[in-house]
Amino acid sequence: MILGLLLAAPFLAYLAWLIWALVAYPIPLGYNLRSLWQRKLSSFSTAAAIALVVGIFVVVLSLAQGLSVAFVSSGRPDQALVLRPNARFELNSSIERDRMRILKVHPLLKRDAEGPMASAEVVVVKLFPMADGTDTNVTVRGLEARGITLRPQVRLVQGRWFRPGLSEVVVPRKMQGRFPSLELGRNLRMGGRDWQIVGTFDAGGASYESEVWSNVNDVMQAFRRESYSAMLARLESPERVEGFLKAVEDDKRLKLEVIRETDYFKELTKAGDPIKILGNLITLILTGAAIFAAMNTMYAAVAGRTKEIGTLRALGFRQREILASFQWESIFLCLTGGLLGSGLALFANGIQTGTTSFETFSDVSFAFTITPGLMAQGVAFSLVMGLLGGFLPAWRASRIPLTEAMKGG
Amino acid sequence: MNTDRFDLGGGEPIITLRDVAKSYWREALEIPVLQGIDLEIPVGAYIALMGPSGSGKTTLLNLVAGIDRPTGGSLEVCGHELNSLDDDQLAAWRNAHVGFIFQNYNLVPVLNAFENVELPLLLTGAGRGERRDRVEEALALVNLTDRMGNYPRQLSGGQEQRVAIARAIVTDPDLLVADEPTGALDAKNAEEVLALMERLNSEFQKTIVMVTHDPKAAHHAKHQIHLEKGVLDKAVEVNR
Amino acid sequence: MRWLALIWKSLMRSKRRTLLIVGSLILSVFTVAVLQSLLTTLNAVTNNPNSSNRLVVRHKSGLTQMLPRSYEAYLRQQSEVETVCALQWFGGYYQDPRNFFANFASDETTLFQTFREEFGAAGISEAQIKDYLRDGAGCIVGESLAKKNGWKVGDVVPLTGTIFPINPRLTIRLIYKSPKPSDENVLHFHYKVLEEGVPRMKGLVGSFWVRTHRPEDIPRFIERVDRHYANSAYETLTETENAFNLAFVKMLGNIGAIIQGITAAVVVAILIVTGNTMATAIRERTTEIAVFRAMGFSASRVLGLLLFEGVLLVGVGGCLGVLVANLAAGAVRASLGMAMPFFADFAILPDTVLACLAGAMAIGLLATFIPAYAATRRPITEGLRAVG
Repeated sequence: MILGLLLAAPFLAYLAWLIWALVAYPIPLGYNLRSLWQRKLSSFSTAAAIALVVGIFVVVLSLAQGLSVAFVSSGRPDQALVLRPNARFELNSSIERDRMRILKVHPLLKRDAEGPMASAEVVVVKLFPMADGTDTNVTVRGLEARGITLRPQVRLVQGRWFRPGLSEVVVPRKMQGRFPSLELGRNLRMGGRDWQIVGTFDAGGASYESEVWSNVNDVMQAFRRESYSAMLARLESPERVEGFLKAVEDDKRLKLEVIRETDYFKELTKAGDPIKILGNLITLILTGAAIFAAMNTMYAAVAGRTKEIGTLRALGFRQREILASFQWESIFLCLTGGLLGSGLALFANGIQTGTTSFETFSDVSFAFTITPGLMAQGVAFSLVMGLLGGFLPAWRASRIPLTEAMKGG
Repeated sequence: MNTDRFDLGGGEPIITLRDVAKSYWREALEIPVLQGIDLEIPVGAYIALMGPSGSGKTTLLNLVAGIDRPTGGSLEVCGHELNSLDDDQLAAWRNAHVGFIFQNYNLVPVLNAFENVELPLLLTGAGRGERRDRVEEALALVNLTDRMGNYPRQLSGGQEQRVAIARAIVTDPDLLVADEPTGALDAKNAEEVLALMERLNSEFQKTIVMVTHDPKAAHHAKHQIHLEKGVLDKAVEVNR
Repeated sequence: MRWLALIWKSLMRSKRRTLLIVGSLILSVFTVAVLQSLLTTLNAVTNNPNSSNRLVVRHKSGLTQMLPRSYEAYLRQQSEVETVCALQWFGGYYQDPRNFFANFASDETTLFQTFREEFGAAGISEAQIKDYLRDGAGCIVGESLAKKNGWKVGDVVPLTGTIFPINPRLTIRLIYKSPKPSDENVLHFHYKVLEEGVPRMKGLVGSFWVRTHRPEDIPRFIERVDRHYANSAYETLTETENAFNLAFVKMLGNIGAIIQGITAAVVVAILIVTGNTMATAIRERTTEIAVFRAMGFSASRVLGLLLFEGVLLVGVGGCLGVLVANLAAGAVRASLGMAMPFFADFAILPDTVLACLAGAMAIGLLATFIPAYAATRRPITEGLRAVG
């Protein structure tokens, strides 16, 4: 972090000077912009190449962000998840019925009119046919009615919630596009019986949007499960989670592990790390390529205007003004590309995709969301390219002696 | 127009122009540059084409050199009716018969003197050894054997033009065309280049057509042909 | 090659420009080569020639559901079957949960026969196999996994179970070599350890890996097995090993579409940048081109020289890019391979190299053609007039 700031400091200082120069110095900006326009073809092709790289940058960012959002918005700091020790994930975990009975009435849990706020749940994965004809693993979660209230971000969109004992399921609205069998009213075959899809829900981008939900007992019966997977519970306040954690882990009858819900999802997010790292590397490398291209264009622009620059110097422009003016020319060139690229990235907006967490062996679906924030990052990114790609050519331009104005050619 | 007015000495004609015309089109407007040029130039002639700017002298030179095509009339140069050659044949014809000398020398900056002179030979199918011999011979003729490895930027203007002349003669063409060959040179270097051209004409029987507006340069030619507004005006024999 | 020197010198006319564009090309081609190799690596997982004889039988509902081990007897009876190996993904870790590697509880009696291509590589010692068979708490590990953790034969490896609540301590009895790196990042131990340690696994197993005599037998076998167990308490899903792996590759989601999208964008960007560079280079040489043509170079010869120059430029960038990608392949294997098992086999295959180079050449041609063609169509007299 500190290293990052140290590295960024010269940049920011230089950028600040450039902005100040824009106001304080008589910079022939109009001349620079017209020069860009005069060399339309060259300027535009460079901007287009930069646009493509910025487009990739923004899409990769949105991919990484989509993955994070899917998990991060899933947890609450005042809730905790109880798992079998070392299980790390709900899918791996199991809690026997007698332990669950003790857990569910634990004195430290928050209570309301209906009793302790806890939901015993079971998680299994099931192969579902996708739109392209292949199958993928989808998480099926069995939960109690309480489980729904413990997840306030989950909202019913169509139909109604499942009722216990009737083999009913609700499915995420967002999954319906990728899994054509998940249509409201249709039947679903799993665990040797038919399940009716009675509702669809929305979870505001959380990872629940990759899960099919039903009643916990129905799922355990159908999948012949003797034990639950995990329990989700709410405490009075976020500070109480520590106490609950200690109480459960020290209880000899239970021998279970407690994880704060937010931490649990943070851990899950790491499933997307390889994709994120790969994406960042690709962007970094392509940025280098784009900077080289921008440098080439700017060098050509400077070389073609040696006489003009000499004349500007003869007219009284100082070296630093020439430097600033060419640096701004490069920045404008790259910013044009950045704006174009951020616009280009909008084409990816809303595309639903999925990936599988190797930790939980099940599908996580999320959408590419190109937010204004991401687009702004793309434009800022192009500004950096303009700074880096333009500096050396601009420096060279500022070193051109005024005698060049007098030379022929 | 009467060719008798232009007695350029006897001998076989190497260049024969019959009613040659050239005009450019600017939008719908036809701009005539040359009209009704009839001219015979014998082998071994050394002609200075003169005239005010816009008189069409460079256009005439380009037509004779086969890098431009007339809009009317016919040209026979070095035994070929140029109108009957397609672009590729014309290129091969130029390689075999014409050497070019330009005002700005037009040497290739990334090639050294030797390689510049060798360029036209690359097209001839001459082997490596033969190419070397001929390049060395041409450079010796322009007295630049010691500058063989130098790049254009390491040569003076006069030396550059001499390398360019070596390049023009290395294929042993019948005809040399020169467009303001001394235009970029100081008096001393200009004199050297003109002397060299004169030698090529007298000693090696190269026919030379040179465009110039410099009376001193024109004085080196055997004949001066004056153009005025696209038509031949007069021919003068130079007394040297 | 009398022209090569000329073309090379033309390229070196502006060393900085050539250097910058080649740098840009190296980075771009590198990216494309690595991305495409990720795809081919994934595709290879589902096209493993070693597994053409093998099938996987598992519970129809999904990976987490178990089948009775008694099914093995029926599977063995089928005439197509050579051998059957009961196998369960254990999902344990050694010391650090991040330290990912595949570990299985498997039927030691048929393991080596079923996966003989994977284990069959040089010098597996019969004596060590016997040691493993004899020691119920023994395990076998692949060489690269052993190297990474510094294990030797005889060392005890404590595994921490995540899916199953046991933490077996296993003694290494055999370290094997395998033709594919990903197959060496694996640990196997006796199935009994799991069955006896975890009550709910009594008589159950996650999957059976069946080796048939001939690949042609596979479709009939699949049909018969799944029909046999249809509507039973434990319905089966039988598929070829490649199809089974495909499901895992699918788990990466639309990575293929993303990679192809990025590749397409990079290719277009290279095309634009190269085209721009060549257009600048050719524009600078307007007069020179006219001089060449005056000297007798035909338009098509000049075009050819310029095209060759463009192809050479991109070719040099492409070759270096692929070279760097090859050098980086090891790093990709080490980093991504640890996170996702398939990528342990990451390599830049000759096919990818050829495709990248051919693509680069095509880009060079295409990018140069337009400015070069325009330049050679220009009248010579006009080119001579231009201020160079």
